[in-house]
Amino acid sequence: MIVIYTRLKDYRDLLLVFIWREFTIRYKQSFIGILWAILQPLSMMLLFTFVFTYIKPVKFSNYPYVLFLYSALLPWSFFSSSVNYAVPSLTNHYNLITKIYFPREILPLSGVFVAVIDFFIASLVYIVLLIVFKAEITWNVFWFIPLFLVLVIFVSSICLIFSALNVYYRDVKLATGFVIQLWFFATPIFYSIDKISLKLKLILFLNPLTFIIENMRRCVVEGRGVIWWQFLLVLSLVVLLFILAYRFFLITEKKFADVI
Amino acid sequence: MSSNNVAIKLENLWKKYYRQNVFHRSLREDVMNVMRLRRNNSNLKKNEFWALKGINIEVKKGESIGFYGPNGAGKSTILKLIANVTYPTKGSVTVNGRVAPLIEIGAGFHKDLTGRENIFMNGTILGMKIAEIKEKMDSIISFSEIEEFIDMSVKKYSSGMYLRLGFAIAIHSDADILLIDEILAVGDEAFREKCLNKAIELKKDGKTMVIVTHNRDLIEKVADRVICIERGRCMSIRKG
Repeated sequence: MIVIYTRLKDYRDLLLVFIWREFTIRYKQSFIGILWAILQPLSMMLLFTFVFTYIKPVKFSNYPYVLFLYSALLPWSFFSSSVNYAVPSLTNHYNLITKIYFPREILPLSGVFVAVIDFFIASLVYIVLLIVFKAEITWNVFWFIPLFLVLVIFVSSICLIFSALNVYYRDVKLATGFVIQLWFFATPIFYSIDKISLKLKLILFLNPLTFIIENMRRCVVEGRGVIWWQFLLVLSLVVLLFILAYRFFLITEKKFADVI
Repeated sequence: MSSNNVAIKLENLWKKYYRQNVFHRSLREDVMNVMRLRRNNSNLKKNEFWALKGINIEVKKGESIGFYGPNGAGKSTILKLIANVTYPTKGSVTVNGRVAPLIEIGAGFHKDLTGRENIFMNGTILGMKIAEIKEKMDSIISFSEIEEFIDMSVKKYSSGMYLRLGFAIAIHSDADILLIDEILAVGDEAFREKCLNKAIELKKDGKTMVIVTHNRDLIEKVADRVICIERGRCMSIRKG
């Protein structure tokens, strides 16, 4: 953590410019602009609502399916858009990497930050939905913030590892699309882990997103709290993962310019 | 130790490159090296070659040195090592002060952004602060002489305009050490003259400069020392 501070201290402005640049480029020459941030979780929500209401009616919850889905699609979109941007970020900037020094982690991390902005924009829709569908909000809603922090640390670690690996093996970028698709089904987004067997539950909990996303849904729309020891366990695992990911990044970084 | 007035110190610098991109092996090597702790890089394996073979150079603060030599001699590799873009296989690089690489100026430009937006982009890459860039914005634009096109996206720029803007940003970066690599090939006569004068002016201001060029003019007018590099070795040094 200290390393990351000393490395990024002098380059804070560069990180800001990268975030601003990604944000402007993404929505430059686009007609609906910033609405794209909302469109992804919203369209997936509508699709799944349609499927599970009309094509194969299933009842997962005793509150509107719209809330059930959006509460999980919101963090999921954050995860998938960060990874999609970050993984090729280093190889896309090979002209910078082979010519000028700056802390390389700025590239994948700026992708995560842009996704954070998208997340906040898409959260506005979430708030509207919560009001429209009259969700019963309790104090447990504040669990949302620490859970989101855990999610950001987890996503950053994944982005650091796989963006670095992608410099060596372009297979990583090719695999991302379909791995994310598989991961989507391995995460309780359009189902809940409440009603499945313990054995299956344990398997699903191997996926850190299961814990994070399931609890982000519970604390907001179901008004349930998070179990402390579980939260602390996941938090420490995710922090450990981040430290390892950052170390890995720093080791591989030395050869980026030579192998890219 | 007289390290206070030394800007760049290259000690017994060796750099190995792969002729082919054998990514798989190099990652595996990394992992093995991490576990082995003791690294043994001295032997050449198949498809490897030494780009630099034991370079020893010391550049004092305020001094300008020029590198001269045939293509592929290792001149640009030296600049990359000074710029901290790549790491030496053996030996050490010590740099005191902020480095601004003018290597292929405009590498940091994003084609979808306007000239003005790219000044922020490139400026921060060179280590400038946003406030600092805002302050120098007018001066950068007037040096580049492309005022009318500054709010146009750079994908519509000519290569000369690219160069002008890139050079203008780099010389405003307040770096202590400027690395200049074959940059003046594109600009027109007048701008080349302007850059040359600027380089002499910066030198008077006490900037350290490392120049790689085939432009005799630049190297002779600016460099205090010219070092000839051939096949990864220092062949001769002559005072300019």
